[in-house]
Amino acid sequence: MSDATKRPIRSNLGRGYSLNKMRWLQLALVTILGTTSSGCANVERSRDLGNPNVPAAVTAVQVCSNCHGKDGNSISPNFPRLAGQQSLYLAAQLENFRSHQRADPEGFEYMWGISRKLTDEQIKGLADYFAKQTPQANSAVDASTAAAGKLIFENGLPAKQTPPCSTCHGPKGEGMASFPRLANQHQDYLVKQLNVFRNTEGRPGTPMKQITHLLDPQEITSVAAYLQALPPN
Amino acid sequence: MQSHTKRGSAGIMLLVVFLLALITELLPMEAQAIPIYARQTGQNCVACHAGGQFPELTSYGRLFKLTGYTMGNRADVPLAVMATASGTSVNSKTPGTGDTYADFPQNGLVHFTTASIFAGGKITDNIGLFGQWTYEAYAQQDPNGHWAGHSGSDNFDLRYADRFIDTNKDLIVGASLNNNPGVTDVWNTFNSGFSSIGPGYVPTSNAAGNGGPFVGTPASPIIMQLGPIAAGMNAYLFWNNTVYAEVGAYQTANRIFSFLSQGIPDSDMPKLKGQLNPYWRLALNHDWGANSAMVGLFGMNAEIYANSPDTFGPTTRYRDVGVDAQYQYILDPHTISAQFSYIKENQSYSDELWDSSNPNYAGSFSNSSNALNYLRLKGTYVYQAKYGASLGYVAVTGSADTLAYTSSPDGNGNPVPFGNANSTPNTHIWIPEIFWTPIQNIRVGLQYYKFTEYNGSSANYDGNGRNASDNNTAFLYVWGAY
Repeated sequence: MSDATKRPIRSNLGRGYSLNKMRWLQLALVTILGTTSSGCANVERSRDLGNPNVPAAVTAVQVCSNCHGKDGNSISPNFPRLAGQQSLYLAAQLENFRSHQRADPEGFEYMWGISRKLTDEQIKGLADYFAKQTPQANSAVDASTAAAGKLIFENGLPAKQTPPCSTCHGPKGEGMASFPRLANQHQDYLVKQLNVFRNTEGRPGTPMKQITHLLDPQEITSVAAYLQALPPN
Repeated sequence: MQSHTKRGSAGIMLLVVFLLALITELLPMEAQAIPIYARQTGQNCVACHAGGQFPELTSYGRLFKLTGYTMGNRADVPLAVMATASGTSVNSKTPGTGDTYADFPQNGLVHFTTASIFAGGKITDNIGLFGQWTYEAYAQQDPNGHWAGHSGSDNFDLRYADRFIDTNKDLIVGASLNNNPGVTDVWNTFNSGFSSIGPGYVPTSNAAGNGGPFVGTPASPIIMQLGPIAAGMNAYLFWNNTVYAEVGAYQTANRIFSFLSQGIPDSDMPKLKGQLNPYWRLALNHDWGANSAMVGLFGMNAEIYANSPDTFGPTTRYRDVGVDAQYQYILDPHTISAQFSYIKENQSYSDELWDSSNPNYAGSFSNSSNALNYLRLKGTYVYQAKYGASLGYVAVTGSADTLAYTSSPDGNGNPVPFGNANSTPNTHIWIPEIFWTPIQNIRVGLQYYKFTEYNGSSANYDGNGRNASDNNTAFLYVWGAY
């Protein structure tokens, strides 16, 4: 090794800097800011969440796709699938994130910031974009767990006065207006959201608090498994 | 000694005040009340940092960086601050020079260690910045051996990026002006610039010694050593979240690029020969379910003047080639991650540096070339982005060279604690760590550095009876950012 690099270079941090160098720094910053702040916004490929002129379809692929997939079929179960989701439901959720009414942990951690400056028009556009995407099959789940979930989904749990999920969410889990599509949704996401409904006030204003009130963890796991494995329709 | 203790206490007081202010500020847990990019996106740290660990990135964090830090709303005040307080405790301070303070400065003393200011974030739709300015409380020693603080440029990464994406394709292209090879990388497996908190922050390098910091390795590849004295211009692409390729050209960060190396006088700066010292990086990335994996290759060629700051005369040519991999499983409440990197370095020297028959023989090396191999492994588990444990392993091996790795005594003829009787850099360290992140802006951690081999042997590595295990060190830190 050369003498110069025998010792960590950080420990060579020296004895001050000259005004000359400061001038370079300023010059560089001024150049950067000067050349860039004068309106070269590129709305066709922008990731700006504070510019109302960025079309929703651009935001969907430039920003939302990072977690939800560019066609709304997210890979990671941390993030819900949005492909084929009901447009009304999606718009309502974005509005609830924006107004902080929806305060489940992931909603707070990820979506409050994303939605904070979206306009109503952008929200509508984003909801329509993902509603139009084609849902893809999700990965397989344990068959016996899914079979138990199917019974709950189709028949409910009369002993617990839990209605069949299909009543509102459709016989194929396809959703209906403000009732979300559940088919092909990630099991882990569904389990977490059912627990948010059941155990917290993080998602107010839906009948789900009451419906999930008496569900036990196994029932929640089963119905979520069934929904993940539903074929795309 | 007293003055150091005083300075240490003042540092602790400062840090306590800082942390209290932070906690008070953060109790309502507003998403906006967190550092620069979090303010820009309105998101929590866990969105971009795996399990909330700084600096390891999630898939989303990688895309945020590769798209040039441009996502979100431009922050009103594009600034953030970070500070660390820490203390070390070394297993044995003897044998050494007899001046344990000089050998192991700040050992046993919890003190304010570093503070950084970050500037940057989104500038335009296509341009964004990561700029870091760091103050180190114990950066350098004066002629009397007293330590003093110093501030200077730290990591700098100014990016231009564009993304061509629709439902069928996804291509990110970008360019970066930066000051540290690897600072542009998004997998955090090999680049020193974004390594985790560690005693590297503690200025424990032994001024008299010939082996670098006492906690750490006696030698590391050049690709890990050039920040912030190198200026690089890099171009990269990331295709379909799968194939990543980057090339860069590095030169000394002086003259027009001196703003990248602020705080380091030109006279202290190792000088790279030419403007085109190449850096390259290839990676294959795959995400499935809650998993993400990467395998990659990277490398750098650099030529440095042996008589820096002079820019003439003999040089050392470094050729680094590395292979790396990362695996992550992130599904709340669990974060599991593992990193691997292995760098092979070949150093070859101008004749004057090693050939005793050369009329200008400088006697720097006994061989005409040397090899250096650097292996890093790390596995981490974090629960609820709050409670974490990790185990790291570093192995350095290399060719023996009696002039490059020596056991020279200090100015008074006393043996130094990091002498090298074996003339090899071979060192093996195990690094377990536990940490706690009570809120996302504060982290408390305890690391232990267990040396099974140092400078070529486990026992008597310096020829004066010092064993590798004498260097074992506990490191306690508190980290805060706002």
